[in-house]
Amino acid sequence: MANPNDRMRRRTFLKTAGVAAGGAIGFPHIIRSAALGATGRPGANDRLVTAHIGVGGMGGGHLRDMVGRMGRGEVSVAAVCDADENQLTKASKIAGPQADVYRDYRYILERKDIDAVVIATPDHWHAVQMVHAAECGKHVYVEKPACCTIEEGKAMVKAAKENRVAVQVGSQGRSEHEAYLAHRYLANEVIGKVNRVDCFHYPSPADNNPAPDCDPPPELDWDLWLGPLPWRPYNPRYCHGTFRWILESGGGQIRDRGAHVMSCAMWWMGADGTGPVTIEASGSAPTKGLWDSAVEMDVVYTFKNPDWVLTWSQHPDAGPPPETRREGEPEISRPGYGAIYHGTSGTMLHWGGDGGTWLERKAREWVPPAGAKDVYKSPGHMEDWFMGIKTGKKTIMNIEAAVGVSNLCVLGNISFILGRPIHWDQARQEIVGDEQARRMMSRPQRAPYHL
Amino acid sequence: MTIGKEAAVWASTVGAGALAAQAGQTAAVQDLIKFITGEDETVRGKAWLNAHAVGPGAIAPLAALLSGQEQEVSRAARRAMWRIVRDAGRPGADALRQQAVGELLPLLADGQPRAVRYEVVWMLSELGGDECVAPLAKLLAAPDLREDARAALQRIPGDRSLAALRDALPAAPADYKPALAASLRARGVQVSDVPDAKLVPTKQTKVKPAQPE
Repeated sequence: MANPNDRMRRRTFLKTAGVAAGGAIGFPHIIRSAALGATGRPGANDRLVTAHIGVGGMGGGHLRDMVGRMGRGEVSVAAVCDADENQLTKASKIAGPQADVYRDYRYILERKDIDAVVIATPDHWHAVQMVHAAECGKHVYVEKPACCTIEEGKAMVKAAKENRVAVQVGSQGRSEHEAYLAHRYLANEVIGKVNRVDCFHYPSPADNNPAPDCDPPPELDWDLWLGPLPWRPYNPRYCHGTFRWILESGGGQIRDRGAHVMSCAMWWMGADGTGPVTIEASGSAPTKGLWDSAVEMDVVYTFKNPDWVLTWSQHPDAGPPPETRREGEPEISRPGYGAIYHGTSGTMLHWGGDGGTWLERKAREWVPPAGAKDVYKSPGHMEDWFMGIKTGKKTIMNIEAAVGVSNLCVLGNISFILGRPIHWDQARQEIVGDEQARRMMSRPQRAPYHL
Repeated sequence: MTIGKEAAVWASTVGAGALAAQAGQTAAVQDLIKFITGEDETVRGKAWLNAHAVGPGAIAPLAALLSGQEQEVSRAARRAMWRIVRDAGRPGADALRQQAVGELLPLLADGQPRAVRYEVVWMLSELGGDECVAPLAKLLAAPDLREDARAALQRIPGDRSLAALRDALPAAPADYKPALAASLRARGVQVSDVPDAKLVPTKQTKVKPAQPE
């Protein structure tokens, strides 16, 4: 249970978040009254109390980051949670003795002293846990992609709105410094009007070492790990990390890195809140093994009013080679993905798009003339979330924007699976003219792990 | 589309004429099964990837391979069935869809292995209409398939699927009522007499919090 002796003071959090935002500290109306001194809750002087759901992989990184913030007096980490007892044991040591440990995230949601949760479980859990957390009044940082189905995304937007919680989705490329430079470069139309964005990425792996189904390892609660998915036996090729290559869970590269690269595209193009009218995918599936996401893939998204085209291309050597960076400049450590922006008077290129986003030199070194437009500069992805909690301001990767990006990935995969183009009605948030594809907008979830 | 090109190439390797005419369907099905059960992984891969060119007539022979001991053969047969189902659901192909549903429904029978019935339930969730509701509703009483049948009925639009979920609720075992209620709520029905179990924690960890150093 909560450890009141170690609880940090919320006033310090608010002050820190306000400083990080570099702006005025407004009334923190989005921290609901229940979180600010109502019965059973810590008072307004307490720091933001967080809990971490899913602590392997990216979740471990988030936990270490938050523990660092705890050391600087910004937050308090009250609990860690995982379906894998080995990961939970490691996380408990990182989080420290004040943090309680749980297998079942719903114990965390019951706790009145916890204000916010960081969710870094496999993709198939993101929507259910985010919605449940919002329904329990918790602010949420949830890893990308936001959702695995269109209907999950709708539920996430509804839950965040109805419960007035701040949600940040982990497409952190939007908060990178060179992403700001790229955005400003495009907003000032240095390459004219952009009418095409070509995203590139290397292929997904095929499973060349298939294994038979077997009993899960003793440390893993397989039922809980599967959660909303239809029950299936454990397979060593379908669990931590490797879930990425299964369509029903991780969705392949397009739903992993696509949720980063296309996130940048939608942000920089000013296209959040819009969607394509047609989506046409083709590609190659693995011919054996458990994994079923596309190995190579091409998707064309056609937008109207304004008219532009977004493409996703997943092939060996799909993109241009990385530029050579000057001494002292950050190296491009992940050059295998990025995007090329085609304007009416030039192009702009970037690599990465997640926590590493690298912009080509001409755009990086562009000096805005007097009167040039400026764009929002994130103080950092986590800081931007804190600011959203404190002020009620939309986060840079708010749930509406994140669902819009996830929908691109989901629709691309549906078109790939069906082997035909699909048509999307953005206003109705529905696939139209194809009943089978329309039904694939949702996948009913296994009880009790449902929205 | 890439799939179409691949299908054409594969068809030429097994005999395009066999794929084109109704009279040749049996030969095409036989070829498909032969390639899927054969030793050559490359041929097997191309066979399931292009199974939609053979059509719904291959569904039952493919289903017979699902419970076999050869992991990759079973997997290829399952994926071939899905290829056919995804092709049968395309716009403007209602006769093909009906044919596929007609092939799938007998595979829900009691004597079929769970592996077959499980896949067929989810296939019908994409293709099925009112004609599938009664056979799926029957599976709500099968402990190893009821969750999948519930999902299918939740997904199939219309009054009949909704009525099947509603009718199943009163007689359902107590531990299954919340699941049925969840489906009804997802379909917009208010269910006041069955509590929502989704936020009730149940799983205990054996891990103890870290000790102070």
